[in-house]
Amino acid sequence: MSSFSAVVRRELLSLFVSPVAWTIVFVFVLVMGVSFHLALISVDGDLRQLVAAVYGGLVSWFMLLLLPPLLSMRTVAEERRSGALELLLTTGISDTVVISGKWFSTWIFFLFLWSCLLPLWGLLSTVGEVDVGVLLSAHAGVALIGAGFCSAGVLASTLTSHPIAAAGLAIAINLVLFMVHFLRFLFQPGDLELRWIDHFSAVHHLSDEMSRGIVDLRIPIWWGSFTILMLFLSIKVLERRRW
Amino acid sequence: MIEVESLSRSFGSRKALDAISFQVPSGSVTGFLGPNGAGKTTTLRVLTSWLLPDPGTTGISVAGVDLLRDPRAAARKVGSLLEQLPLPSELRVGEFLTARARLKGIAAQRIASEVERVLTEVDAADSARRGLGTLSQGYRQRIGLADALLGDPPVLLLDEPTRGLDPRQVTLFRELIDRLRGQHTIILSSHVLGEVEQICDRVCVIADGKIRLDEDRNAWTKRLESAGSIRIEVNSTGPEVAAQLASVEGVTEVAIDGDGWLIRGDRDVRHALGELALQQRWIIHDLHGIPATLESLFLQLTRAEDQ
Repeated sequence: MSSFSAVVRRELLSLFVSPVAWTIVFVFVLVMGVSFHLALISVDGDLRQLVAAVYGGLVSWFMLLLLPPLLSMRTVAEERRSGALELLLTTGISDTVVISGKWFSTWIFFLFLWSCLLPLWGLLSTVGEVDVGVLLSAHAGVALIGAGFCSAGVLASTLTSHPIAAAGLAIAINLVLFMVHFLRFLFQPGDLELRWIDHFSAVHHLSDEMSRGIVDLRIPIWWGSFTILMLFLSIKVLERRRW
Repeated sequence: MIEVESLSRSFGSRKALDAISFQVPSGSVTGFLGPNGAGKTTTLRVLTSWLLPDPGTTGISVAGVDLLRDPRAAARKVGSLLEQLPLPSELRVGEFLTARARLKGIAAQRIASEVERVLTEVDAADSARRGLGTLSQGYRQRIGLADALLGDPPVLLLDEPTRGLDPRQVTLFRELIDRLRGQHTIILSSHVLGEVEQICDRVCVIADGKIRLDEDRNAWTKRLESAGSIRIEVNSTGPEVAAQLASVEGVTEVAIDGDGWLIRGDRDVRHALGELALQQRWIIHDLHGIPATLESLFLQLTRAEDQ
């Protein structure tokens, strides 16, 4: 546990002192702030609908698809190229701890970004009634999908020593999970296939359910399993270097 | 102590290490010499547990820990200074070493004093607040060594530690290694033969994935002496002198060296040369042995690979 926290602290330290990370924070807050404002206008001040409009909207999806790859692309790829990975893995820490620590720190930073929206909700709660349950459900949805996307980013980062290539690969994986939703248009209402698509569709999980306060246990199970699978594959790829 | 028995490591079909065996006694400084691609860095990477040895490797023991059975425990016994030192430029020296101390499992309450200790050890106590990106090459090497010393590991592996340093920094580095001698078992991989000659108690020459020489200072000094040459200068010159010198039993080569002659032999021929001078009524102006250099020995041992 102490080596896990050491890896997490080391990664977070690097992230929080990096100008790139703070640029991402600035751009995220700016873009989401504008999106928040436009969503508020579009729902005509109805705070009940605002949560779904903000978290299930296109701008949020753009951030969800893009941010985890950008945050995770350097985790292994850059360190492999610079030699820092060798420095890290020769301290006697296991590959499992290194991968899980790097994923966790990326995820924490991702959650920190989204938590920057909370003051806006705090401000709105002074002029209207914000449904805290729905807001928490939406944030939980973002957190679950973010966990999966961050783990896909870490896997992509283990597969190459070029961060940009890693980001591209991670975006491609995320897009598959995003685009699966649009297979719905190939089927008729009532088809069994639609139920299967809903099981795997990130859009369905966030836009149709969690941002509207609908919490289904299958969603955390699916994203938890996906995250564990991605991390397991990342560990296996990292172990391969020893051979 | 490091004990390596029949270590092999392949990359695809290429055998980088071919069943090498060697021992490094506790507290000694062993120089690892070899041309590029000889297998020096691969050996060090196996000892840090970064690379696994091939199946068939009989045994690797690092400070009493069986590396084949428990590579992570063995890694904790080793502090390493990598050839390419990847220091994160966004961090300060103190932040970097603190994070590294945590990774190495040093207890939280000991970290501050441990960082201070290693910085003092490498003469960089004043640099804790400096950014890693602003350090000179010499300072970077010192911080790398400070990192290797964190947790006081019994074994230190230093890969090309003086690379990129100016002569003054090299001298300071040598003094530092001298201070660490006896407290740590050190392997120093280097291309700089003079450096190995000055610093190391043992030398291990590796070429083409095989150990060509593994000797302590006494043994290699004797080997250099016997592989050396003799310079003689007498009051007579000319080709007949060379012919007479060449006729002495044991002499294998005679070459002009200024006003004298440089003689190589397959044994100590000084006594025979003295007798020849007496017979010929030569007056000897100079007669002394010139030991071979580590460089010439290195070239001789690694020539087979080039050929």
